[in-house]
Order: sequence, then structure tokens, then C-alpha cells
Amino acid sequence: MLTFLARRLFVMMPTLFFISVLVFVIIQLPPGDFLSTYLNELQAQGEAVDPAKIAFLKQQYGLDQPIWQQYFDWAWGLLHGDLGFSFEYNLPVTEVVGDRLWLSVVLNFSTVLFIYIVSFPIGIYSATRQYSWGDYGFTLLGFLGLAMPNFLFALILLYYANVVFGTSIGGLMDPEFINQGWSFAKVMSVAEHLWAPVLVIGTSGTASMIRRLRANLLDELSKQYVVTAHAKGLSPVRVLFKYPLRMALNPFIADIGNILPQVVSGSVLVSVVMSLPTTGPMLLAALQSQDMYLAGSFLMFLALLTVVGMFVSDLLLAWLDPRIRLQGGVSQ
Amino acid sequence: MTDILRIRDLKVEFVLPHMRVKAVENVSFRIGAQETVALVGESGSGKTTISQAIMGLLPKSAQITNGSIVFADPKKPGTRVDIAMLDRSGAEMRSIRGGRISMIFQEPMSSLSPLHTIGDQICEAVRLHRKVGTGEAKELAREMLELVGFPNPKRSLKTYPFELSGGLRQRAMIAMAMVCRPALLVADEPTTALDVTIQAQTLRLIKDMQSELQMSVLLITHDLGVVANMADRMVVVYDGRVVESGLTHDVFVNPGHLYTQSLLSAVPHFDMGPDERLRPLREIKPKVDSLLTFCGDKDSSGEGDVPPSLALHPAMASEPVLAVRHLYKSFAVRKGNWFKAEEQEIAAVADVSLTINRGECVGLVGESGCGKTTLSKLIMRAMAPDSGSILFRGESGQMTELTGLNEDQLNPYRKRIQFVFQDPFGSLNPRMTVQDIITEPMIIHGIGDTSYRKKMVLELMELVGLDPRFLNRYPHSFSGGQRQRIGIARALSLKPDLLIFDEPTSALDVSVQAQILNLLKDLQRELKLTYMFISHNLAVVDYIADRIAVMCAGRIVESAPREQLFRNPVHPYTQALLNAVPFADLDHLLDFTKIVDGKASDPRRWPAPFTIDAQSDPRMVQFAEDHFVRAARADYQEIAI
Repeated sequence: MLTFLARRLFVMMPTLFFISVLVFVIIQLPPGDFLSTYLNELQAQGEAVDPAKIAFLKQQYGLDQPIWQQYFDWAWGLLHGDLGFSFEYNLPVTEVVGDRLWLSVVLNFSTVLFIYIVSFPIGIYSATRQYSWGDYGFTLLGFLGLAMPNFLFALILLYYANVVFGTSIGGLMDPEFINQGWSFAKVMSVAEHLWAPVLVIGTSGTASMIRRLRANLLDELSKQYVVTAHAKGLSPVRVLFKYPLRMALNPFIADIGNILPQVVSGSVLVSVVMSLPTTGPMLLAALQSQDMYLAGSFLMFLALLTVVGMFVSDLLLAWLDPRIRLQGGVSQ
Repeated sequence: MTDILRIRDLKVEFVLPHMRVKAVENVSFRIGAQETVALVGESGSGKTTISQAIMGLLPKSAQITNGSIVFADPKKPGTRVDIAMLDRSGAEMRSIRGGRISMIFQEPMSSLSPLHTIGDQICEAVRLHRKVGTGEAKELAREMLELVGFPNPKRSLKTYPFELSGGLRQRAMIAMAMVCRPALLVADEPTTALDVTIQAQTLRLIKDMQSELQMSVLLITHDLGVVANMADRMVVVYDGRVVESGLTHDVFVNPGHLYTQSLLSAVPHFDMGPDERLRPLREIKPKVDSLLTFCGDKDSSGEGDVPPSLALHPAMASEPVLAVRHLYKSFAVRKGNWFKAEEQEIAAVADVSLTINRGECVGLVGESGCGKTTLSKLIMRAMAPDSGSILFRGESGQMTELTGLNEDQLNPYRKRIQFVFQDPFGSLNPRMTVQDIITEPMIIHGIGDTSYRKKMVLELMELVGLDPRFLNRYPHSFSGGQRQRIGIARALSLKPDLLIFDEPTSALDVSVQAQILNLLKDLQRELKLTYMFISHNLAVVDYIADRIAVMCAGRIVESAPREQLFRNPVHPYTQALLNAVPFADLDHLLDFTKIVDGKASDPRRWPAPFTIDAQSDPRMVQFAEDHFVRAARADYQEIAI
């Protein structure tokens, strides 16, 4: 078990390294850099630019150095918790991101939690009562959730909340708390606002999770060991929970690593529509203006989330399933 | 003697949205105290439905619409419970199920949950039906594991099913069923998925447990050999009805119903004369047409000239088609982790030499994992051997070495060796019509034009006894036996010199098996085919093969003409195999005292001249004419066969 852990942790390092290289390369791919974009913008507005100032800025930002040197500086900074400097905001990335990162984490974590809590009982119900009216109903709802684009759902929700209830559900907190320090009232306000984006972002995830759990559980329910358990005289509920449900959990858990980035990237559009102060809109802007360190930090954060999510799901799987735990190192 | 279970006029129907399907009707039989009753029938006969009805495990759509299943528990004298009336998942049924009536299943691989330890699963059964604490339950489970012959019961409690072999899993399953000391054990095909030696051990275990716990057994099986050896009485079911029942002895000696008679005459047994044929329910008469007349005899002037029904003369058989010499293949199994990998070499095929002459059928017998399938793959060159040589007689009539050839060079030989697979369901592409399936090999090898191929397919269909009108159907509309015949037709479409059959009948019912075996025999005679027949079923091999090689742990340990091998087996493994086969013959019952637990298939434990271990690696030596055995004896001449 320990070697399994060590191995998994060891594999994470080169993975993150390759991702960081990839992220950097992708950011550098479009022609020009932040300064040239900035210059073009200034010239388009008819303003003169002092070449000496440009040269100074270039040197200041390290943009005159070779690419590998830039990458090395950036990566070295990342290792030390220094996320670099945002050109656009003229501030260190850490300060630019600020609360947004935590709000994103809170939002996404709540969404994942929502997906699991809602889909789990519905999935079990649908599988054990296959082809009942309830099953059909949930299936219909699920397909609706899958088929409807998130941003559309967000718009509809915004509209009806305004028209019917007369409340604005945009944002993640009441306007008076924006740019204020954290207080109990602010936390409560965030909690009040959280449900709408969670609902919007989580619907499709929930729907697909229900389908997956239902399919897995149906597979497991028809397996021989379930009959064995019944033949022992176990009550149907205990059979369900002890055997097939445990088996059906595997893909459920293996999905954690997938669901995290899915949720995070899915929330970008919704955040724009609902004007949520999360990282999504900022990432979009940073990519547009080639604010390389800001965009790079975001992308690395996403990568880290994915890799850690995978790690956590692997750990859970190994803990839950002896086949993975005991046969991990054997291959034929 | 009081009856434990009495079934009267049982009728079970499956209620589907549009119709009701009768699965079982008018079934009545009884099981006495400490008696073994066998429920015999082929697939689809309803025997499993009957067992499910007894256990209260019928699927939701099934309903007991008539009759009664009265269970008289010997522990509570005087009480009678009608299981048919009980709520299937109610408390009363649940206390009977697993507590008083237990069940073991066919598939030891999938019947146990892979996520829970053996101990957990057995203790669960104990604690459900007895008021005991955790410690006591563990102790009971340990005792039971010891009773069913686990080598280290205490440690085994903590093992997971996937860490155990198939035989041990079935023992764990039996322990789980027995741990509450039931009055009746329902065993649904308990040994079908096991090797013969393991099967014999398991059967003996069930017998031992029966006398130990004084319980009754309902044995559900299609294997008449198992019935003859285990059952006091037998009930034959066909199409959901009981067609015959009575004492096993009476039914075997004097079968009254036509179906029972045909079942009994469809099972191959060892005393069959050279010309005696199995009698399947429906015989297929192969019809040979012009295109199919085989190039069996190279010396004759042309393909069409050979009279199709020319019986093979022994003198013609001398020419070898395939000669395998000292073939080795091992697989590396990696154990360990990233930092320290332990490579372990497992010899799948070791020092195998085998010659197949034109027109003969060589049988290859062995238990699962002995390397017989690997050997067939090596011969097909689906895999490359580590060392050794495979000589094959190609179109030129010269023996060609196949081992060094690359894919392009192999291509001309590919069509000359064809394969028929074990699983008739998995080996046919469900999205291709029969026509496409049979034509495909000819297209791949560019044989003939469209009209030739069409004619060939028609002839092949006739040959295997299928109506040419079925050509546009898909495999799913055929039964297992019909599918296997399509597979045979496909293999024959290239007119191969050598046909390899890998367990072609093991997935089929006995009557269908007889049909296929007879078909194969007829085809061989009519078309002068050469077969290599791989099977774990000794009786089947005995019926079809001229010469038999016994394989164990990657090596051929004995090879001889069929009469000799079975009459005079020399190698301890062959003897163990023969001792373990249950015959459908009351005069040759299994001698359970001769069946030893432990490993007859472990080469290190074979007695002196036969032992294979680090010190001694014996070669094949000649024992009698055409009879070779792997032994280290200076007085026998070492000979490569």
C-alpha cells in the first residue's frame, strides 16, 4: 500500500512538469506578447509610444529573454509560491486573483457535492425500480439537464427570479459586500447566492452521474454474487447496500478526477453570464490579452486540481477495492 | 423415511408485458431425508427455474401459478411450510433460505463478491441465521473452511476470492452454504465450470459433507456422469415437464422415456467400439459436392477425381502434415512495483513435440492452464515460440519451417491451418450475415471469383446440414449448435490441410455435442480431413481421436493411440485424470477413495521416474509401440515423437 502511494505521488511530479511546459507553450503560441498587443492597442488609439519605454518595459517584464529562460523563471517562481506578475493589472498575480480563487473553489466544491448528493439516491432509485414511472421521470429530467446548455439555463433562471420573485440572483454576494473584508454577514450572503450557480453548473453533471450510476448498478444487480447474497437469506436492502452498490461505487469515485476540471471549465461561461466573481471570466480575459503569467497560473491551477483529483480518486479506489490494492503491481 | 421436500404440480410462468410464458408445468417430485436427487435436463429445460422456485429466488417477472413446494424441516418435526405461498423476500422465507436450504452455484468465479473477504462472506451467513457473536462466527467459519479442505483455514478467512483458484473458490462457496448446517442443499451445476480432477474432489466433498451433516442434496446437472456417481434418484426434465423419474439405477438400466434414452445414448463413453456411433436427437447427414472434394491426396491427378467417400487407408496416413519439435514458450509475469520488478517466467509450453499425420485426428487433453490453447496458437503462429521448430507441409508438398517466417511469408500457410473456437457465441461477428461470415476467409485470401464463392458457401451450408435459406440471417437467430456448425463451415471454406478445434463442444448440450461430434467424424471421413482436437473432456476425445496426447503444466506427459492410452495409462497424471472422470455408467463408478486432494497436476509431486523439478527434467521415452511417456528411465530409449 505504501509503495502504491509513493508510486502515485512520484508519477504526479513529471505529469505536472509536462503540463506546465504545455501550458507555457500554448500561451506563447499566438504571435506577439502582452506588450505588442498593448502597443497595437495604443497605436490604434493614435497615441505615440516612446521606444525607450517599450525597451524598458520589455526588460522589466523579462520578455526580452529567450523563451526557455522565461519558462524557467516562471516555473521556479511557481515552486516557491510566486505566481508571477500580471501585466494587465500591474499587480502580482496572487493579489489579482485574491478572493476569486477561493470563491471558485467554494463554488466548484459545492457543485461537486451537489452532484453527488443528488445523483446518488436518484441513481439507486432508478436502478432498483427500473422502468417504473419514477425511473422514467428522472430519466426525462436527466435528459433535459444534459441537453440544455448551462448558460441558457442560467439566463432563464435569472429572468424568472427577477420577474417572479423580484430578486437578482446574479453574483455570488450582495453588492454591498464586494471588495469588503470577510465577515459573517458576507459569508451568509455568499451562501445565499451560491445555490443558483451550483444548480446551473451542476445539472448536467448530476444528470450524467445519475445515468452512470443507474447503468453500473443495473449491471451489478444482475451478477451472480448478488444471487448468492440473496440465497444466504439477506434482506434485499442489505444485499443492495453491501454488495452491488459497493461495486457500482468504483466508477463513481474514479470520476472525481474527471468531474473537477469539467466543473471548473464548465463554470467559465456561466460565471460570465451570471457575473460571478470567480476565476473563469478572468482566465478568459487573460488569455485574450496574452497576460501570460495570469493565464498560466490559472491553467496550472486547473491542472493541479485534475491531478490531485485523480490522486484522491485513486487512493479511494485502492481503499475500497481490494483488487486494485492487492493486484496493483501485477501485470501480465 | 420422511420427505424433506415435496413438490406437487408446480407451474411457473414468466409474465411479460404482452404474454405469459410457461417455464415449468406439472412438475412433481420429492426429496427424502439424506437423499440425493438429481434434476437432469439440457439448457432451457426449466431445471434452473425449479431450483429458483425452491429457493424463493425466482426473478420478478416469474410467478408460481399453481402447485406447492412443501418443506418439512427435520429440525422442527411436524411443521410443514409451503414455500410457494411465502413472500419471496419476507422474513420467513429468508430464514429458510440460507439457513435451512442452501444453494451453491455453477460459477465459482462470479458467485462470490470480489470486494469482501471469504471470512466476511461466510461469517455473514452464520450471523444471519444463528445468534452468535463475531468471534464465535469466525470460529465456525474457520471450522467449516477446515472441513471443506482449505489448507490454511485461519489465514484463508482474510483472503479475497480472486486470490484463490477456481477449485478453492467452489470450496469456499460450499463452506458458505454449509456453515448453517442446512437440511437441504441445492447444487446448481456445481462442477460444470471445474476441471475433471477438481470436479471429482468437489463431488467427493459434497458427498462427505452430506453424510457429515446428514442433509439432502438436490443436484441440478446436465452431466449424466455426475448423476450416475452421485444421485440416489433422478428426475429428467424436458421442456418444463418431468418426463421420467425414478431410482438412478432403474433409469440408467431401463430408461422408459424416449428422451431419456436418447440422452443416455448421446453421451460418449469409454467402452465404445471403433464403429459405434453416438445417437444424437437429430442426426446431420453431410452432403459433399464437387467443390469441396478435398486435396487430401496430393498424388491423385486432380481435385475432382477423388471419390468423396473413399475411406482412409492406414497406409495413406503415414505422411505427416505437421511436425512440432521441442517447442518452448514462456510468458513473463511481472510482480512487484516500480522500484523492484520481479520478472517471473512461466513456461506455458515446454518441450512439446507432436506429429499429426494426414487424415488422422490427434486429441490433446489437459486441464485449464496446461498450455493446450497456447500450443494451438503457436501452431497457428498467432504467437511466436521462444524456441523449437514447427514443420508444416505446404502446397509444394515439402515440409516448411514456420518459426522463422514473417507475416508475409506466413500468409500462404494461414489458409492451410484453420481454427474452430470454443465459444460459438463470441466467435461469430453478430453484425455479419452467415453468408458474409463464411465468405470472408475466401475474400481475405483472394480465392475464386464471386460465383465460385457463392457456390462454395452453398455447398458448405449443405455440408454442415444448414438450410441455405438461412444464409442472409445473422448469428443471433441460431442456436449454439447451429452456430458451431457455421464456425465449422467457415473453417472449411479454405479447404485447409489441418483443422484445429479448441473445445468445440464444451459449451453445448450433450445431444448437440453428439450431433457435432458425429458431423466432425463424417466430415473427416468424407473429406479426408486432418484434425487436432483440444478438449478437457476425455470421453469426447476418446470418441473422436485416433491418437491422444495428454498435456500437463506445459508438457506432453503421455501420448498413445486411444485404445492404449485409456486401457493402459502409464503416467500418474493420466491415471489421475482417468480416475477422476465420472462416467455415465453404473458399472464404472468413481472410486472416491482414489481421489486425493492436492495436486495431481503438480509435476514436482509425481513419483520417481516421472518427477519434474529442478533436479530432473525427463524427456519422452518409448513405452510400447506408439506409446510414449515422459519419464526418466535409463532402460527406456529416449525418442522424439
